[in-house]
Amino acid sequence: MPDTTEIQDRETKRNLTPYLLIAPVVIYYIIFWLFPVINAVGGSFLSTSLDKGGIFTLANYKAVFKDPIFWQAVINTTIIVIISVTLEFFLAFGLALLINVKFRGSSFFLFLAIIPMSLPAVAVGAMWNSGLATYGWLNSFLIRIGLIDPSNKILFLAGTHFSRMILIILVDAWQVIPFMMIILLSGMQGLQPEMAEAGRVFGGNRWQVLRKITVPMLKQTIITAMILRIIAAIQIWLIIVMIFGFNRLPVLMEQIVLNIDQYMAEEFFRKGMALSVIVAVLVSGVSFIYLKASGAFDDPGSREGDE
Amino acid sequence: MTNNLRRNAGRTMRMTTIYILVSGVAMIIIFPMFFLFSFSLMSDYETYSEWPKPLLPRTSVDYRMDHSGNGNFRLSIWNVSENDWMPFGPEELNRNPDEIKKLSRFLNNYGNTQFSEEEILTAMKLTDQDGFYEFALRKSLIHNYRRFFKLYSGAARSVLQSLYTAGMTIFISVSIGGMAGYAFARYVFKGKNILKLSVLFVRMFPPVAIAIPMVVILGKMGMYDKPVGLSLIYSINQISMNIWITASIFMGIPESLEEAAQVFGTSKTGAFFRVTMPLAVPGLAACAMYSFIYSWNEVINAVILTQFNPTFPVVVYKSLLGANAQVHLIAAGSIAQALPAIIFTLFIRKYILQMWGGVKV
Repeated sequence: MPDTTEIQDRETKRNLTPYLLIAPVVIYYIIFWLFPVINAVGGSFLSTSLDKGGIFTLANYKAVFKDPIFWQAVINTTIIVIISVTLEFFLAFGLALLINVKFRGSSFFLFLAIIPMSLPAVAVGAMWNSGLATYGWLNSFLIRIGLIDPSNKILFLAGTHFSRMILIILVDAWQVIPFMMIILLSGMQGLQPEMAEAGRVFGGNRWQVLRKITVPMLKQTIITAMILRIIAAIQIWLIIVMIFGFNRLPVLMEQIVLNIDQYMAEEFFRKGMALSVIVAVLVSGVSFIYLKASGAFDDPGSREGDE
Repeated sequence: MTNNLRRNAGRTMRMTTIYILVSGVAMIIIFPMFFLFSFSLMSDYETYSEWPKPLLPRTSVDYRMDHSGNGNFRLSIWNVSENDWMPFGPEELNRNPDEIKKLSRFLNNYGNTQFSEEEILTAMKLTDQDGFYEFALRKSLIHNYRRFFKLYSGAARSVLQSLYTAGMTIFISVSIGGMAGYAFARYVFKGKNILKLSVLFVRMFPPVAIAIPMVVILGKMGMYDKPVGLSLIYSINQISMNIWITASIFMGIPESLEEAAQVFGTSKTGAFFRVTMPLAVPGLAACAMYSFIYSWNEVINAVILTQFNPTFPVVVYKSLLGANAQVHLIAAGSIAQALPAIIFTLFIRKYILQMWGGVKV
């Protein structure tokens, strides 16, 4: 029965192809991700490096938990993540709806709207650094257009702890909303307009159509946008350091960089490692909870179907 | 008729609201970038002696020369914030060639304006004639950019390092990510969902913490402080992005096209290279540019993984955090760094929705 063997042959070949295609990724991640990660996790439990006679210890973790700045960083990060992800989502969604209307010039507007996400973090830092300073362009601009008096300059950077946080959230939103907007907009363009039209025909107003038809159909897209944002938001730090400097508004990632890169002693270095393991656990924990709660794990059969 | 009119009026209202919103958002996006750009054109004098800054950057500077008594001269500059002439340079000037040379250099370094020694002498002659002499000089717009690259030595070389790194990152992440993306788009296989989640998972471990062990690992491989080593790190993040993006691109190309080609006698591989690939090229190019932007912009891994061969963002970052940070020069560095990213965005725009259309967790 040569025919069947040939078919079987082709079947196995067919089944092998995807594995061959994903093999490089898997190998790559084992060498360049898993290996260093094991190194980092292992290193966080050592007193010093193995060849210098390091032994297992929890001291690095203890040092982290005893550090009051760490708890401050946890609180700050939590507040920033919650406010910024919520704010960014609604603004990005609104922006995506706006561009989706397809007015004249919407294509150019799309280009304009995605520029901030492609700007280097350093440029964004320099931009706001020079803008928010007391003698920066923002005050200068407000005076020039007559909104404030030269004697009443706004001290953007000298505000309270909370106002500094809000400032960071706004600056961060300026840069990352486009990223979220793009994902949401792509999702919207994939929807069939007939569905929304049907909703209108049956008497729904715009708001109802949006809530009862568009949003539910965009669920997958929204989950994607949110999860990518949450992962990135927990790791916010560079913009904070560029505007305020280290330790002025402690957040988790900033503390990692501070310990690993700025202090030159080994104990800080190992503390930084422990901190990054904690952050990794936090990020994956939050992501898992989010994915679980949003139902991304439910009913894999139907999801396989829509791809 | 009235119904039509009312509908038209409603439409006009709606469009007006949209345009108001759009222009508001556009302004919020443009203003900060515009001001950064405008800072990058400012001379030392404008940076440190004028406030509030003018809304538009100046392209020329007004000077005035008159007598300071006992036959000597003095130079003033028009200060737009004070709306007045302000002293500029030494209090007393004579015709001593050394001082004239100094003044010419001062006008160049401090005012970003070119005024040669002969021209200064002519100005002095005219001042003697009329009692004063006013003149406007064109401001050099690339002065700060040139100075940034001169002041932060190695900046020019770091641009090359950055380009190498970006090239390698594109090569690694688009090829490896693209293969997996194709598998995601076309095949149903065991472990697909787990792999999809693990692609997400690699983003969750702080990159800084990976960079540290990588210093040792790359050192052993002889790739520390080299663009290749850096691109290997960048690819970790970028491969995961590119898997999603390329999967989305391939999903947008109907599989039936490949099947049709196979009916006409090509192999599966042939169908892929002759049918799917040409259709995917624009999307993949956009994906490559996206990888470029990521690699070109990345800072912290580059700070950790380079020593003598920093990338361009590292140079700008260090100039920003440095002790004698000069706002206008840093602005020039930042704009220089942002430029390629903006240009690529212009190209990517057309494909960006295709890139993200099929992206799902």
